[in-house]
Amino acid sequence: MKRIVALSLLLLLALLLAACGAPAADSGAAADSGESASSAAPDAGEVASRQLRVSFSWPTFIDPAVGSDFSSGSALVNLYDTLVFPNPDGTISPWLAESWETSDDGLTWTFHLRQDVQFHDGSNLTASDVAYSFNRLQTIGEGYGYMFSGVDGANAVDDYTVEFTLAEPSGLFLPSLVRLYILNEDLVRANTAAEGSYGDNGDFGKDWLLTNDAGSGPYKVANFQLEEFLLMEKFDGWWGDFVENAPDQVRFIATTEAATVRTLMSNGELEISDQWQSINALENLGELEGVEIAALPSFTEFYFMLNTRLAPLDDVHCRRAMAYAFDYDTAVSLEWPGTQQSQGPVPRALGGHNPDVMTFSMDLDKAAEELAQCQYADELDQYPVEIHWISEVPDEEKFALLFQANMAEIGIPVEVVSTPWLSVVENTSAQETSPHIVTIYVSADLPEAGPILKQRYHSDTAATWSQNEWLLDEELDAAIDDSLTTIDQAERFAKYAEIQDQIAEEAPSLFIYDQVQKHAYQDYVDWPAVSGDASPLNGYFLYAANIGVHQ
Amino acid sequence: MNLLIFIGKRIFHAIFVILGLAIVIFAVARIMPGDPVRLAVGSRAPQWVVDNMREQMHLNDPIPVQFGYWLRDAAQGDFGISLVTRRNVAEDVREFFPATLELALFALTISLTGALLLGTIAARHKDKWIDNIIRIFSYLGIVTPSFVFAIIFILIFAFALDWLPAIGRLSNGVEPPPRVTGFYTIDSLLIGDLATFWDAIRHLILPALALAMASMAQEARITRSSMADNLTKDYIASARALGVSEGLIMRRFLLKPSLIPTVSIVGMDFAAGLGNAFLVELIFNWPGLSRYGMNAMLSKDLNAISAVILSFGIVFVLVNLLVDILVARLDPRISLSAGGGS
Repeated sequence: MKRIVALSLLLLLALLLAACGAPAADSGAAADSGESASSAAPDAGEVASRQLRVSFSWPTFIDPAVGSDFSSGSALVNLYDTLVFPNPDGTISPWLAESWETSDDGLTWTFHLRQDVQFHDGSNLTASDVAYSFNRLQTIGEGYGYMFSGVDGANAVDDYTVEFTLAEPSGLFLPSLVRLYILNEDLVRANTAAEGSYGDNGDFGKDWLLTNDAGSGPYKVANFQLEEFLLMEKFDGWWGDFVENAPDQVRFIATTEAATVRTLMSNGELEISDQWQSINALENLGELEGVEIAALPSFTEFYFMLNTRLAPLDDVHCRRAMAYAFDYDTAVSLEWPGTQQSQGPVPRALGGHNPDVMTFSMDLDKAAEELAQCQYADELDQYPVEIHWISEVPDEEKFALLFQANMAEIGIPVEVVSTPWLSVVENTSAQETSPHIVTIYVSADLPEAGPILKQRYHSDTAATWSQNEWLLDEELDAAIDDSLTTIDQAERFAKYAEIQDQIAEEAPSLFIYDQVQKHAYQDYVDWPAVSGDASPLNGYFLYAANIGVHQ
Repeated sequence: MNLLIFIGKRIFHAIFVILGLAIVIFAVARIMPGDPVRLAVGSRAPQWVVDNMREQMHLNDPIPVQFGYWLRDAAQGDFGISLVTRRNVAEDVREFFPATLELALFALTISLTGALLLGTIAARHKDKWIDNIIRIFSYLGIVTPSFVFAIIFILIFAFALDWLPAIGRLSNGVEPPPRVTGFYTIDSLLIGDLATFWDAIRHLILPALALAMASMAQEARITRSSMADNLTKDYIASARALGVSEGLIMRRFLLKPSLIPTVSIVGMDFAAGLGNAFLVELIFNWPGLSRYGMNAMLSKDLNAISAVILSFGIVFVLVNLLVDILVARLDPRISLSAGGGS
């Protein structure tokens, strides 16, 4: 018995020592020379090729009719092509569509497609694929499907001409097309399960598209291990141009754990970190040799959403008093360098942002003046204000505490409440349960101001977590609707500017700061996002065909 | 025969335990705040998408009716669709459970081997310096959460020394072996692919060690106490008086009876480890069921929550059954037919 135990222990020890001593197949050097690595990896050349590895939060949906979050958006832009392509300045360029025209009434849009585009299986991309992709997205309705609710349908006029019919004119239709990813109709149909929720279309290929792609984009799926990683490889038949040293492989690694990310970064096994690293973790990453920190503009703004139906916040003077009493400079200083105080309800990176909008800054005299006009001025202690921050985002607490301290200076009692995200979603779904104030980050899905104005302040989108203000203002609704149906961009942007002025005057929210998207990255990565040459639209910072990896 | 009757009785009891567990988790999952479908499809999805999905999942029916549907489908191995992965939950469990089981079994091997070794040494050198060192190690192991060990190990062995891989089940470029058991170590051995087997072992070491530390420490303490206690028994004194060597006393008369409390706790530790593995899985990017379950809870993924807890519950019941059988085999005073093991 003793001998067996001793032998087992020796064996275990030998295993551990040998395992620790063996070269790591993960590291590039080992892949080139290590016996273990080369024998373990039948295609070790794959490891040695130019790689872009990025950490991400799970899950990632690569079905264009399902995914819309950060990791899904970043995968989709690489796997699929769209009719138009977003530019860094918020405009769009022709992409699969070489040209287009619209009817006089703005209801019919006709697009002329490139004729040299191949899907990943080598088949040709035609107008029928575009119509199929649109109808599939609209029928399923998930992901970015909501952007096309005002479109009646799409038809293939001929092999390379596709026509969209709108229910009413829309200034957002053209920019929305950056979210219409074109699928290979034949391939999806061949992989569609007969049983499903979509009648004759069965499951519409949803099950298959969870782990496979049917796109024509610069990268194609090579291996998708759910919860672990998504590996994409360069599509040599892509019609577009890769930058020099574009990665041969792109790997999204499903982890955001600080210690793990730091280890991978230090070992040269990660090129770009996720955007969810804390400030402390980023500072540590920045100390690693060869690692830089990028602070990228984003379409995300941090708001304190004030419930305008709940006393004392139902009085505009009380709201303005709060807006004047808050210390924005301190709040901004708590964030990453480069962060700026927001100017009104629209992040400044969005097209149609109004740079001249009224912006509150800390002024206790003005706060006192406004407070004096508030109907609750003499009985503020009767109306304690609750500010709810999201428990899962610990960094938010310091902003809530700062608010509490600032409001104490003008005599408004504030209680700071930590609330789990699921409860926030539940509470903001009804006017009666919406708290006084919620602190939330909201992002825009399109590169201009209209959609976020609608999402934040229109009555149609009340009862969702993205607004706690409950303005329910018909005039404002009409103005937002009018702006969204204006096709001329300059005219539309002018209308957005007026709406921003109107909202800022009412102070239904405190506009804290425009978030910068923070990533650690290796200095051998030539990343257009850092130089401002990539659209901040969700996913396009990681458009790998434009990223050089000089390993 | 006694053994078969015992197993039959325990399985019969287990059915009621698991049914009770199913009712509790079904109810708890549904009283959590938030509409799961709205959470899954996002705030901007049209209401009709939410309504359709709620209809498909029977969420508009009264809860007892929902439970009836769920029980009927679950009995056929169909746990519905996951709102997080959008796949059949049974498919997810089949994919992710082997990863967690492989990790937990590897951790069990490490913890049991380490515990027996440390426990025996400590008992043999009771109250000497080596016993004290093992005691301090054990206390540290018990009070330190496994995720702290995970972070420490990753920083030492992957970050500073770069000896072992930090994430995943296999290295870049190494293809998983054809799936038979879902255990990469076993599946790679089945096809004779030693390189992949070795790679899988290298990836298992750090997470398994992190997971094993607490149970190893606890089991070492229990083994040591049990052995030290048995050392004072009359039969040991008799053996010594008869001139039996210390080594023989240790392995022939002491180890087996002293193993009983250790084996009892190992079963509980193993089952608890399955559930507690989520942070370790998260840190090592290990695609296991524990991490999947945590994601499901954060996203109020009703079907996935029920399936994961039920899967762990079944393993818990089975492991306890196995432990009872083992303990009865180790201790002849315990009769299996007398109703229930220890």
